[in-house]
Amino acid sequence: MSVTAYLLLASVIFVIGATTVLVRRNSIVVFMGIELMLNAANLAFLAFARMWGNVEGQLAAFFVMVVAAAEVVVGLAIIVSLFRTRRTVSVDDENLLRH
Amino acid sequence: MSAASLLSALISASPGASLGGSLGAPSAWRGAAAAAVVEADISIDWVTLSPVAIVLGAAVLSTLVEAVGARRSRDGVAVQPAFLRIVQVGIALLAVAAAGLMALRLALHVDEATSLNANGAVTIDPMTLYLQLAIAACALLGLLVIADRTVQGEDAFAPQAAAVPGSDYESQARRRGMTQTDVYPLVQFATGGMMLFPAAGDLITLFVALEVLSLPLYLLSGMARHRRLLSQEASLKYFLLGAFGSAFFLFGAAWVYGATGALRLTDIAAAAALPSGLDPLLVVGLVLILVGLFFKVGAVPFHSWTPDVYQGAPTPITGFMAACTKIAAFGALLRIIYAVGPGLSWDLKPVLWTVAILTMVVGTVVGLVQKDVKRLLAYSAIAHAGFILTGVAALSSDGLSGSLFYLFTYGVATVGGFGVIALVREVDSQGHMRGEATGLDQWRGLGRRSPVLAGTFALFLLSFAGIPLTSGFVAKFAVFQAAFGAGAAALAIVGLACSAAAAFFYARVIVAMFFEPAADDQTAEFETLADGIGSAGVGIRTLGLNQIAVAMSLAFTLVLGVAPGWFLNFTRGLSQLIS
Amino acid sequence: MNGLEMSTAEQVLFWIVGPITVLGASALLFSKRAVLTACSVMVTMVGLAFLYVGLGSPFLGVVQVVVYTGAIMMLFVFVLMLVGVDVSDSFVETIRGQRWIGAIFGLGLLVVLAGAVYRSTFTFVIGGEGAAGDNAGAVASLLFSDFAFTLEVTGCLLIVAAMGAVILTHRVRLTKPVTQPQLMAGRTKRGLRLTPPPAPGNYARHNAADVPAIDPSGRVIEASVPSSLRLRGQVHTLRGLSQDLLEDPPACGPKEVKP
Repeated sequence: MSVTAYLLLASVIFVIGATTVLVRRNSIVVFMGIELMLNAANLAFLAFARMWGNVEGQLAAFFVMVVAAAEVVVGLAIIVSLFRTRRTVSVDDENLLRH
Repeated sequence: MSAASLLSALISASPGASLGGSLGAPSAWRGAAAAAVVEADISIDWVTLSPVAIVLGAAVLSTLVEAVGARRSRDGVAVQPAFLRIVQVGIALLAVAAAGLMALRLALHVDEATSLNANGAVTIDPMTLYLQLAIAACALLGLLVIADRTVQGEDAFAPQAAAVPGSDYESQARRRGMTQTDVYPLVQFATGGMMLFPAAGDLITLFVALEVLSLPLYLLSGMARHRRLLSQEASLKYFLLGAFGSAFFLFGAAWVYGATGALRLTDIAAAAALPSGLDPLLVVGLVLILVGLFFKVGAVPFHSWTPDVYQGAPTPITGFMAACTKIAAFGALLRIIYAVGPGLSWDLKPVLWTVAILTMVVGTVVGLVQKDVKRLLAYSAIAHAGFILTGVAALSSDGLSGSLFYLFTYGVATVGGFGVIALVREVDSQGHMRGEATGLDQWRGLGRRSPVLAGTFALFLLSFAGIPLTSGFVAKFAVFQAAFGAGAAALAIVGLACSAAAAFFYARVIVAMFFEPAADDQTAEFETLADGIGSAGVGIRTLGLNQIAVAMSLAFTLVLGVAPGWFLNFTRGLSQLIS
Repeated sequence: MNGLEMSTAEQVLFWIVGPITVLGASALLFSKRAVLTACSVMVTMVGLAFLYVGLGSPFLGVVQVVVYTGAIMMLFVFVLMLVGVDVSDSFVETIRGQRWIGAIFGLGLLVVLAGAVYRSTFTFVIGGEGAAGDNAGAVASLLFSDFAFTLEVTGCLLIVAAMGAVILTHRVRLTKPVTQPQLMAGRTKRGLRLTPPPAPGNYARHNAADVPAIDPSGRVIEASVPSSLRLRGQVHTLRGLSQDLLEDPPACGPKEVKP
């Protein structure tokens, strides 16, 4: 029963993160949604690690954390560099890319 | 820590030897009295790992060169020594060439079907070596295009990526002729990640390799020299959607781990072959992993980043990314489907079929209305991803070999095609060279001004369209034949229809280049850089690296179109070793 | 313990921390203020850390707090401060009905995932003691054996991240730095003031930044008020000061000393 509970929690968090990416217009908030999705995957890994009696899931979660940190650095650098140019962090200003 | 342990591993490891290490780890959590000593053993066969290791090692070396290379002059102003660019380009080209040669040597001498390396984190089998060789070849061609610049010192990248577009700082950087040489380490890191991606032996290495190949590409997309606003937008869009796809991939990996209890792909394959109560988890996990990979490949409905990123990124980077990312991502896709999926083929079939059909149709239909050459090639890339997916969805050994052949020929033709686009530039009224001329109406009459360039591009387009005597035709034939043979006739029929329709938009470009006169007020507006090979424009010379790459791509395309037999047998032999 | 049953303590932990986690996450969807969103996400991360400890991986719980909450979310808050805390989304939709489409997609995905969870039968486990004992040591032994190469590649990833951040934001110096003697020479040549301007305000009466200082002859010194206030026209005029000051300016210089 416990694994289902943790899995459902992980799924709910994942879905909230995915919906954030699709719905919100502030690029920093969208990026936070992606981080939440990665966290949900971590929770799933750990729940399964406990279920199988394995440490591999914990190791997977560890790697995910390191990779997420690197991704956040690059992502925020891109967002900041875009902000310096356009003075806004909205993802809406795509007029330049419309054909 | 990374360099030190790599060094110690190099010193103490030889093929088959093991590197033992011990750590003390006090276990404060459960209150054990004594400190626990942990034994860790790893065996790495550096010879088979050398393609990846050479490229990543050279990338680290490039970073060090970058760190010590920039100098300060006496008055505190940053100065870029002239040799920095040459050293970086040299390291990059040598490393990728060496990695390709190692992959070739290993591929020709591999005798066993599969070998695990690094305790199972890396799988080296004939398919992996072929893909690594293909990636190295396309990366080498791509690097030649990236490294090219005009004799006045203008390359395709912003002089200082940190400068705000349109500011004084940017014009100062441009005047002083600064170049962003950080591009080369980034391209090498991306290539290393791309070589590791199809070779990964477990889910975590897959995820890490995915990120290593993606992050440099997100950065590189934003560094175009001209139209910087568009470039930065493309970078943000690529990053957000790419990270979104990676998160789906990871969640799927978690569920697959949950269903099988193992991270290693071989163990997952073994566990997946047995029916168990956790099969729903396995199926959902695999579908989510496929979704993440479809994002990377640009399959519909996860393709929304492709046109914008292909258009906004610097043209040499677009060529590199289009070719090599597809090869790497399809390699991982093939590995997952063939290694893990055989027992679940009837679950995965609907997904693969739907995505393949949608991708081919959407890529072709929307490509018909494009007016920009780079966006046109982007939608054509989406359609081609659909054709390769047809070969994958055939789920047979013929489909595998067809897809492998298609990937290589498509990759080479793509790098060449974008290399040609990088040579057609706009010239403003004062005679200064601006960015690439990407509007279709600006390409009218190119055949008269620069026949060699227009002819080369026409040949690449014919290869994309699948006209006989080009490698594209052979590839499409192989893929559709495999689809018919494996009972996926519907896919093949849709593919043939889309190829026929796509031929229209390729033909449009060819007609515009050769059979339409250049608009009168535009003759002063674009110049081609293919000077000396028959252009009618004023000489704007480049170093010639781009032209070398384009010529090599053209040679591959024609040779593999006219005499593909040996290559087809090679890929067929490889795929028989796998399945 | 076979890893499938939750002890009561763990159930309590789950049912208290779980809803908090979901609440914190839902702020991402519904809150209009970016910093509040970041703080709620931090609450979610700490809640997840508690759950990790409950799941038998205390090492990862600590790493979650240190890395995710302590480093990653701090980076987010920094960038939000840089960008502007009053920035909120424009709620004009570029694609009509995008919010509903997103919500439907999210619900659909949740239904698929939950359905897969409920249809699986979790029946067995292989010896569930794997995570007990020396947690950090167990993770370490696996990390440095099976995943050592992956760790090195992750090191490459971190190099890429650091290089990328520097490339996109670090501006090297292109012009010679102006030294103090050069600055002064330039000002002298143009006849500008060489010293800092006098502080705003009037001794012992008004020391607000928008009240100009008065020179010994009773004239107002415009330059003493910060230029941003001068541009906005928010300087206190002389009429705001008390009249006695103007009619009888304080004497300056030494008082006469009576012999």
